Amino acid sequence: MALPLLTVDDVTQVFPLDDGGRYVALKDIDLTIAEGEFISLIGHSGCGKSTLLNLMAGLNQASTGGILMDGRQVTDPGPDRMVVFQNYSLLPWQTVRQNIALAVDNVMTGSSEAERRERIEQSIQLVGLGAAADKFPGELSGGMKQRVAIARALAIRPRLLLLDEPFGALDALTRGNLQQQLMQICQQAGVTTVMVTHDVDEALLLSDRVVCLTNGPEAGIGQILNVPLPRPRQRLDVMDHPDYYHLRSELISFLQQQRRLKQRKQSRPSVVPVAAPAVQTVRLGYLPGLDIAPLAMAMDRGLLQQRGLELKPVAFDRWQTLEDQLKAGELDVAITSATTPLALTLGLGGQGAWPAVTPMTVTRSGNALCLARRFSDLGIQDLGSLAAQIKGTGTRLRLAVAHKGNMQELLLRHWLASGGIDPDRDVELMALSPMAMEATLRAGEIDGFIAGRYRVAKALEAGLVTLLATDLDIWSDHPEKVLTCHENWALNHQDALLDLSAALMRGGQLCEDPAEHDHLVGLLGASQWLGKGSALALQSQFDFGSDVPSGVRLPLNRFHSDRAHLANSAEGSWILSQFSRWGWSPFPSNRLELLSHVYRSDLCSRALERAGFADLRPERAPFALADGLAFDQDNPLDYLKQLPYSRATALESIPLPSGSSQRPLAAH
Amino acid sequence: MTAITPGSRSRRPSKLGRLQPGLRNLMPYLICIGGFLIAWQILSLILGMARLPGPINVIVETWDPYISQPFFDDGGTSKGLGWQILISLQRVALGYGLAAVVGIAIGGVLGLNRFIGKGLDPVIQVLRTVPPLAWFPISLMVFQDANTSAIFVIFITAIWPIIINTAVGIREIPQDYTNVARVLRLRKGAYIRNIVIPATVPYVFTGLRISVGLAWLAIVAAEMLKADGGIGYFIWDAYNAGGDSSSSQIILAIIYVGVVGLALDRLVAYVGSRVAKGGN
Repeated sequence: MALPLLTVDDVTQVFPLDDGGRYVALKDIDLTIAEGEFISLIGHSGCGKSTLLNLMAGLNQASTGGILMDGRQVTDPGPDRMVVFQNYSLLPWQTVRQNIALAVDNVMTGSSEAERRERIEQSIQLVGLGAAADKFPGELSGGMKQRVAIARALAIRPRLLLLDEPFGALDALTRGNLQQQLMQICQQAGVTTVMVTHDVDEALLLSDRVVCLTNGPEAGIGQILNVPLPRPRQRLDVMDHPDYYHLRSELISFLQQQRRLKQRKQSRPSVVPVAAPAVQTVRLGYLPGLDIAPLAMAMDRGLLQQRGLELKPVAFDRWQTLEDQLKAGELDVAITSATTPLALTLGLGGQGAWPAVTPMTVTRSGNALCLARRFSDLGIQDLGSLAAQIKGTGTRLRLAVAHKGNMQELLLRHWLASGGIDPDRDVELMALSPMAMEATLRAGEIDGFIAGRYRVAKALEAGLVTLLATDLDIWSDHPEKVLTCHENWALNHQDALLDLSAALMRGGQLCEDPAEHDHLVGLLGASQWLGKGSALALQSQFDFGSDVPSGVRLPLNRFHSDRAHLANSAEGSWILSQFSRWGWSPFPSNRLELLSHVYRSDLCSRALERAGFADLRPERAPFALADGLAFDQDNPLDYLKQLPYSRATALESIPLPSGSSQRPLAAH
Repeated sequence: MTAITPGSRSRRPSKLGRLQPGLRNLMPYLICIGGFLIAWQILSLILGMARLPGPINVIVETWDPYISQPFFDDGGTSKGLGWQILISLQRVALGYGLAAVVGIAIGGVLGLNRFIGKGLDPVIQVLRTVPPLAWFPISLMVFQDANTSAIFVIFITAIWPIIINTAVGIREIPQDYTNVARVLRLRKGAYIRNIVIPATVPYVFTGLRISVGLAWLAIVAAEMLKADGGIGYFIWDAYNAGGDSSSSQIILAIIYVGVVGLALDRLVAYVGSRVAKGGN
């Protein structure tokens, strides 16, 4: 990849409104454009495409963030970033030649008169307008005017050419010819180009990458599509290329999803301000485990009462019960596995779809996989020896997960598959209450389990198991537990939800504070959380029988640091890919719609703000798990194709469950 | 449906259609103006020739010397209508020319500088509604001279539309053009030469065109009040003389005033369209 020419760094653009309000047009845009690249910005009208282009041109200044060109901040417009405006912007009182001359004479001040004349004539010839050189723009057709505008822009040899819907007003025939011309010219001149368009075919024909913007307000980059079609391109050849229709349908489905989201937003009932009681009681469901440490800490410090929130934590011992209660409206919110919001929304496992949303990630990492001791006696210590054992003896291990389809199961399956073990054929996976795992293993009914480190630590303490892997080996910093509630509850009790999220974020920060550690261990020993017996396991669990000297704390759970709280839809995208991989659900062709619905990064931002933390954003960069395959949120299908044992079925558009019913939809 | 054989539907050309094309274009004017003249003649018959002379009487009574000799000069204020009009036009040229120069300059400043433009707007809005003749007494007191005062009244009447239109023209320069200037980093001089002036010219000429009409209105009124010579003076003088042909002289002068006013309007419009070449 060539050097970056232009970097859009964390740009947010806010416009003041007449009524004193603010309109956030663009939010948190990051984009790097390499030298010589052709980029298209696509999105529905009003999504801020032109705003972004104007920022790149320097015609406007970003409210926050900045734009760098060759490493220098763009503060004002300049001829090195020449713009071809939407309505050509030719001066009507000057002839074609004069229009071009104005640019050339003004920019090429160091050149001789003869050189400038030559450049002007050359530019006129480039776009084939020799015959019209002495005509006024008013005497030209739209297509000719656009050619003049392009000639004027290229005449001054800009580093970056910015085109704002250059062919929008032209008839199809003219547009096609001009696109071809522009492509040739840009390629010959090697000029880096950014084009705003709403034409999918145009974007695919011309671009190296297509940047899809989500709807405004707060438009962001929804997807970046690589267009790997070979150059030089010809319209007809491009359309015959085997990838073309796949790319095209990606773009069209993106635009359709955005349209549906827009309609959905418009049809959403306005929030009726219910006279909120001074103290609001929120029923929160959880399963005891280390993941609830931020909650315990927040309650201990009174972070919730401070905000006028009375929390009623309800402990469960089975995830299924918790989910049922949540769906029945017995619970308002729950701390669930990171996969649960999507699983509920998709109606996985034959249940009715239930529109869940998540405003934040509560913890990351913190899982471990252990096997009964007898396997370590057989020499099974890692994935390789496990695979050899299974292949060699045909043993079908019985492994327990806390809940079907939860994060732990996805990690386990992924890890097994990366070692050549088919999780559906070579092992037997079963769901078991985490509290019952130790006893069931002791009874010999299961051979091992994946669970939170506290459960594993207890089994280790009891000498029942050996540690086979931690999630650090599988996907370090994966989202483990998230806050989950119904779409409507989030809408009607937004304040309470934000307060709760903010309190959990503050609690998470305290949990990572080494000075608080002993206090936390004591706190978790309360019967409400892990119970009296927990202190011992907690104090030594970081050890896990490994060579790490006791007292050195392994960073297994992450409660706060390094953007732990973010509701990251890229991770959701990975979860969807796994649902599809194991044949539980078709891969949703409208995944971005689904993800933007479930992963409420807007609520996350506001909760972070309430908690007094910086509103950071997730990285867009691809990430890799145990198998080393990079997962690119913009191209999950490619990832899915490369995965072994994939049972992925065809793409399917998945309707979003209606948010209007608080009760579960007719189940089954 | 019955078949229509070609030619079977040959329409009978209307009466108008059979005339020469040039004449056909003139027909509406001939008919309407003829009708107007006839109505006028009838009205004058009803009211009596002494009170309202008809068109024929006007021509007959003023033929000699006012129509046939537009440029006679008997000395003093007794001059042909051509001379009278030229005297008025001279005053207008001075006052209007001054108003154009000063008005475009002030309008330019108001348009380019938001602060001044905003601050002075109320003053302009108040002053522009003052009727031309209201300025006359004060200018007489200041200048102590009827001729200078008349020129001043022309100036002060004509200047407002020029100021306002120039300022608006500069403020309304399309964002597209200023964006081009910003991207090309045009220097101030090049910006004003290539963009501000050409973009503002149509507005300026709109102002000039409104102003020339106002100036012509004002001069006739000013001359009627106090002047020696000029078409306004001629009208008032004819009225005061109270002779047999006075009414006819006044009517003739009014027609001349109208025709000259129209000619001035068209002249400014023509110049404007020549200057704003290629524009819009």
